[in-house]
Amino acid sequence: MERKWNKSSLMGWQFVALPSALILLFSFYPMFQSLLLSFQSGKGTVYHYVGIDNYIRLFSDPMFKQAVFNTLLYLIVQVPIMLLLGLVIAHLLNNPKLRFKGFYRTAIFLPCVTSLVSYAVLFKSIFAVDGILNKMLLSMHVIQEPIAWLMDPIWARVVIIAAITWRWTGYNMIFYLSAMQNIDPSIYEAASIDGASKTRQFFSITVPMLKPIILFTAIISTNGTLQLFDEVVNITKGGPGNATMTISQYIYNLSFVYTPNFGYAATVSYAIVVMVAVLALFQLKLGGEKR
Amino acid sequence: MKKLTTMVVHLFLIVASVISLFPFVWMLMGMTNSSSEILKGKFSFGSMLMENIHKLLDMTSLGAAFWNSAIIAIIGTVGTLLLSSMAGYGFEIYHSKSKSRLFGLLMLSMMMPFAAVMIPLFRMFSGMGLLNTPTAVILPTITTAFMIFFFLQNTKSFPRELLQAGRVDGLSEWRLFTRIYMPTMKPTYAAAAIITFMNYWNSFLWPLIALQTQDKKTLPLVVSSLASSYNPDYGIIMVAIVITTLPSVLIFFLLQKQFVQGMLGSVK
Amino acid sequence: MKKFLSVLLLVTMTASLLAACGSSNSDSNTAGSTDQGGSSKKKVVAWAWDPSFNGAALKIAEELYQKEHPDFELEVVDMAKADLEQKLNANLAAGVKDGLPDIILVNDPNIQKYVTAYPNTFADFTDKIDFTQFSPYKVDALRIGDKIYGVPFDIGVTGMFYRSDYLEQAGYTAKDLENITWDQYIEIGKVVKEKTGKYMTTINPNDEALTSILLQSAGSWYITPENKGNFVNNPVMAETLRVYKAISDSGIAKPVTGWSEFVGSFNAGDVATVVSGVWQVPSIMDAKDQSGKWRVAPIPRLNIKGGVNASNEGGSSWFVLNGSKNKDLAIDFLAKTIGGSSEFYERFLKEKGGVGSYIPAFSSDAYGQQSEFFGGQAIYRDFTKWSTEVPGISLGMYTQEAKDALKNELPNILQGADLTQSLANIQKLFEQQVQ
Repeated sequence: MERKWNKSSLMGWQFVALPSALILLFSFYPMFQSLLLSFQSGKGTVYHYVGIDNYIRLFSDPMFKQAVFNTLLYLIVQVPIMLLLGLVIAHLLNNPKLRFKGFYRTAIFLPCVTSLVSYAVLFKSIFAVDGILNKMLLSMHVIQEPIAWLMDPIWARVVIIAAITWRWTGYNMIFYLSAMQNIDPSIYEAASIDGASKTRQFFSITVPMLKPIILFTAIISTNGTLQLFDEVVNITKGGPGNATMTISQYIYNLSFVYTPNFGYAATVSYAIVVMVAVLALFQLKLGGEKR
Repeated sequence: MKKLTTMVVHLFLIVASVISLFPFVWMLMGMTNSSSEILKGKFSFGSMLMENIHKLLDMTSLGAAFWNSAIIAIIGTVGTLLLSSMAGYGFEIYHSKSKSRLFGLLMLSMMMPFAAVMIPLFRMFSGMGLLNTPTAVILPTITTAFMIFFFLQNTKSFPRELLQAGRVDGLSEWRLFTRIYMPTMKPTYAAAAIITFMNYWNSFLWPLIALQTQDKKTLPLVVSSLASSYNPDYGIIMVAIVITTLPSVLIFFLLQKQFVQGMLGSVK
Repeated sequence: MKKFLSVLLLVTMTASLLAACGSSNSDSNTAGSTDQGGSSKKKVVAWAWDPSFNGAALKIAEELYQKEHPDFELEVVDMAKADLEQKLNANLAAGVKDGLPDIILVNDPNIQKYVTAYPNTFADFTDKIDFTQFSPYKVDALRIGDKIYGVPFDIGVTGMFYRSDYLEQAGYTAKDLENITWDQYIEIGKVVKEKTGKYMTTINPNDEALTSILLQSAGSWYITPENKGNFVNNPVMAETLRVYKAISDSGIAKPVTGWSEFVGSFNAGDVATVVSGVWQVPSIMDAKDQSGKWRVAPIPRLNIKGGVNASNEGGSSWFVLNGSKNKDLAIDFLAKTIGGSSEFYERFLKEKGGVGSYIPAFSSDAYGQQSEFFGGQAIYRDFTKWSTEVPGISLGMYTQEAKDALKNELPNILQGADLTQSLANIQKLFEQQVQ
């Protein structure tokens, strides 16, 4: 038995070798280059070696701290809401007896294929001062005067969180739905016969069976949120003030908007890598992966 | 009681669908209105559709851009699916300590913001003489840790008894993969195909840098250049956006059949 | 194992196929746009960001130049402005030359940044063009040390576009809007709001357009010519922010949160005035139903020493890359057209509504034309007259960093925080950013 296992372990390399080599070439080589760059500072093409100064600068950089705060806020508030919503919707749509499920599935998935331009124009117009939302709230007498959503630091963050949730819930739903196809339907049938309610089935069958995928979506959402860029740039440009600016936007600014300092930008990028890696390890532990 | 639950479920899904679909309705309306009508927030269909389409076709070489995007997305998706599923399968089924370490390392690659690796990558492709080609757009993401991870996690629920049965039947390891694993995992492949196609189809930052001449541009690059003029014409932009969005929707339509309950059962 | 080999073969084949189609593509590209050897047509490549404006201007210049040089050819690559800047930075930082064009459009506040960050990359135009023929403030933006880089192109000389019908209804004539201060403007705005129910203007705390206009109208900027923060001990900055807060507090400004809302506000007739660059003319004229109702007056001035009723918002210039294979041709092309042809500027204005800073063109018929949309006003004559009054400033290297530092504190200022303290905060933040 032991020998056979070793043999099969060797066999496995033929499956993983080529893909791994491609990642090492196209991701790790550039990552190594940017690691070297993170110890340099300067402008454009004029650089000098600064040791760990860039890393020290991170801790006294108010813009960076603001960006980390904003990004972590999105992470803590938005990711759990989105994943739970995606999971619940996927569970409801996985019911073979549900009518119109094809329509619902398509409708809820569609936001993630929307182009960013339309998405931005749209969210801006919905949340404009005389936009649709304010008109609705005013006519229902929920508010007395229009709210300037995108000019208030708190509301602007709420808008961003709503926008990300709108765009990515359907995306996560796809992962859950596809994974649910691997659950044997007879398990649900047996549970129904035993008299377990739908809610009960959701928590005692669906969630545990999908644990690897829930873990997967949690990690990629964490990663996606820490690299959040498009939504914020297109909807609020980071404002008001810098209340919605994200770390990735800061990297972009350092590289392409400000006088370019690719060295410091690389340092900030590594800060993201470290944060995601730590959070992912934490999630793996929490998810009970013991390897 | 049961009826009530069903109604609540439908109500919830209808609200979610309306919220999700609203922008699409607005986009489709926008296609038929003039720019200033869109800016004034007109929410009804207009009569500018043909004019907007004509103007767009005059202004851009949309056909070429569509073709460029299609080549990249199709080849890229097929390649990614094959390579990433191989790796996900290999890492999980033939699990070993060294492979597990390697996988952990590979995961780091998806945590790096692309803006930070773009310039070294650009230099690398310049050195290989591949700039301004579809290959340059496809290669860097032809295998991603993200997709490998997705396949790996899904493989955890893959019934291994099927492999044992195949081995007993004398199938080689590659045949186990192509004859048993691939058909069984159809829903996973479908989800991966939708996501990967979308990523390639919408990718922006890297094609912007890697593609250099007007005739090689992909659709998102064309749309982006429309939206930034001093006086952007939103009617035209809406047409371009709808055209850009359609293929992803189509792919979703084609593949979503795979998410119907019980696919696994039929293979067994 | 057989299967493995066949898969491997498939992958290699696909890869080599891709590489083959790739290399053939790059060959054809080399032949087409970069390799100019031989006696065939001379082709110059340019990057621009608005095909209906600056891209179109290049096409006009190409036609003019072809009269003398029939074998000249120009290829304009259009992309979004942010995309162009990103692509340029990536190419220059990577040191990859083969993808860069010969000519590139640069937004004026980026000039010093690029020239400093990428030394010896851009061609020196000091002796190639007679810069005395251009509005001095525009040339100031191009001057770094004792050299002048690039060819002055469009300008954003500002004016106060106003709805004559709204202002008449509120009891004001054209005369009442000339030579006023911002405080007078606010008073007029209050009357307009009361009498017509319309807002006087729009305000967007996330956009620095208005503060930039105010600063330059009194010859100041966010940073000093030495690239230091210009927030503390700068009376113009203090006055600018006072006026900004006064406009915000007065209730005469409609809050908008983005460009489309801004344009939408005057297209829908929600505001009585728009203080903006001359390039705003086509957007204003988009609302065809408002023809005849608009006029343009000089902008209000800051009530401070050096404050004038003229300023600038935006503008760009053409640069030539030193590494370009067609450097001399590109320089000659620009110098003979955009850098010294009155005919170019007349056509640019007539066909595309673009205004340059080339003084000899100002006396032409094109610039004297009366606009029916603006009630028969010769708006371009007025704009060009104001353009000679705009104070010259150095835009420096860190404009964007300084604007972001200001943006960070602006909400506090608008909520009534102590201005001196706020300015000190901004200065400190800026200095941390540019270390």
